Amino acid sequence: MKLIDLYLDDIRHRLPPRNREDILNEIRSALMDMIEDRNPDPEQAPEDALIESVLMEFGPPRKVARQYGTQSYLIGPRIYPSYLMVLKIVLIIVAALNVLGLIVSVAGKTGFDAGAFDAILQIIGGLFSSLFSAFGIVTLVFAGIERTASEQWTVELDQEWHPDDLRQAEDKEHVNLAGLAIEITLSLIFIALINFFLNRIGIYYFDDTGWISEPILNDNFRPYIPWITAYVTFDIALNLYLIRKGFWDKLATILKVMINAFKIAVTIAIISGPSIITVTESAWQRLNFDLSITAEQLSRGLNTGLNVLLGLAIFGMVVESIQYLYKGFIKGRHASIEIKS
Amino acid sequence: MNDDTLSEQTRSLVQELRRGVITLAVLSQLHEEQYGYSLMKRLEHRGMQVDQGTLYPLLRRLEEQKLLESDWRVEASRPRRYYMLSQFGKKVLQEMRTEWTRIKTTVDDLLTNEKEKENEIN
Repeated sequence: MKLIDLYLDDIRHRLPPRNREDILNEIRSALMDMIEDRNPDPEQAPEDALIESVLMEFGPPRKVARQYGTQSYLIGPRIYPSYLMVLKIVLIIVAALNVLGLIVSVAGKTGFDAGAFDAILQIIGGLFSSLFSAFGIVTLVFAGIERTASEQWTVELDQEWHPDDLRQAEDKEHVNLAGLAIEITLSLIFIALINFFLNRIGIYYFDDTGWISEPILNDNFRPYIPWITAYVTFDIALNLYLIRKGFWDKLATILKVMINAFKIAVTIAIISGPSIITVTESAWQRLNFDLSITAEQLSRGLNTGLNVLLGLAIFGMVVESIQYLYKGFIKGRHASIEIKS
Repeated sequence: MNDDTLSEQTRSLVQELRRGVITLAVLSQLHEEQYGYSLMKRLEHRGMQVDQGTLYPLLRRLEEQKLLESDWRVEASRPRRYYMLSQFGKKVLQEMRTEWTRIKTTVDDLLTNEKEKENEIN
């Protein structure tokens, strides 16, 4: 009978936790029925050969367990194509940024000495670790989507359908799953970057002691980090809501406009506050670009450039908000907020 | 009918056909309570072979769908789980029976027409 225990143990760890013991009890009972029925001498304990043949008939533990479980996926077939697409895009972007770093670091050097070779090896090592990190983040985001995505992303075979649905679908502002997934992934990377790796955003150069990075964002930037983290988190939450919903509704429109207003307020604060970029003299000299400007002039120029970009971003956000309000409320393309009664 | 005499292709089609009617066959035998093995023997005796790996999970699913009720009982020092149709299961079985009769008549009719046509051509 030990063989039966081993068989049930093998099935046990393949079963979903729900009803596990109950299922095993039933299988044991079924096996005992089969053995009892086939044992030529019920007074005697069944022979091993009989038990083996009964187990063979009942089937391999893997197959038996599969019959009881519903299949669950880390990333299921409904979102797998989007996952692959986003993964490719993100990996290409990460690889491109790394290669760009390689080119910049080599460009400043006159000869191709052992130091430069070391630098290249370090960058290649860095490339693999950042590719793996990007792969991990994308996979985590999609595993999250797999568990939250709306039924709309599944194959809706059993739903009632009318050709009118086609007309209504045309009127609805559908969301693009792949686009949202890219946004969420990049947002998470961005939050991690400004919260944990702020010092890594900077100028990189290689000297005798190895890679040196001089941060380019100064302490004036720090007070904004919680606010920026907050609105990026709101953005992620809105994107998750959209993924769940499948299309824009009025609630999403209102949230989008509110988040944009919040972003605009933070951006205005950054523009009107003290400058946040500082290029140190030592880093600028190390970069060795042979330009006749000082580090201070460069810093001022970068700050002005940043302010112009932020100004454009504000303009963009205002236009975007108006577009969403127009689409949602005037053209009525965003469905009404559903209020459950 | 013995599966061994069928071609590979036919065998898989017949399996599919059988899978479709197993639920009806199982429900039909549960007006009185049965445990898994006794139900399997009963179906086998009537010419309906059901794989154990299919039968036990099916009974569980039907119970989850409230078509069956079950309870554990100890008999001859061994526990067995007995299944029986619930009130809802009886109603569903009745509806399925009507539907089955309709399908059977239609398909029989289609197959008879087909046979007649074949004979005409020959």
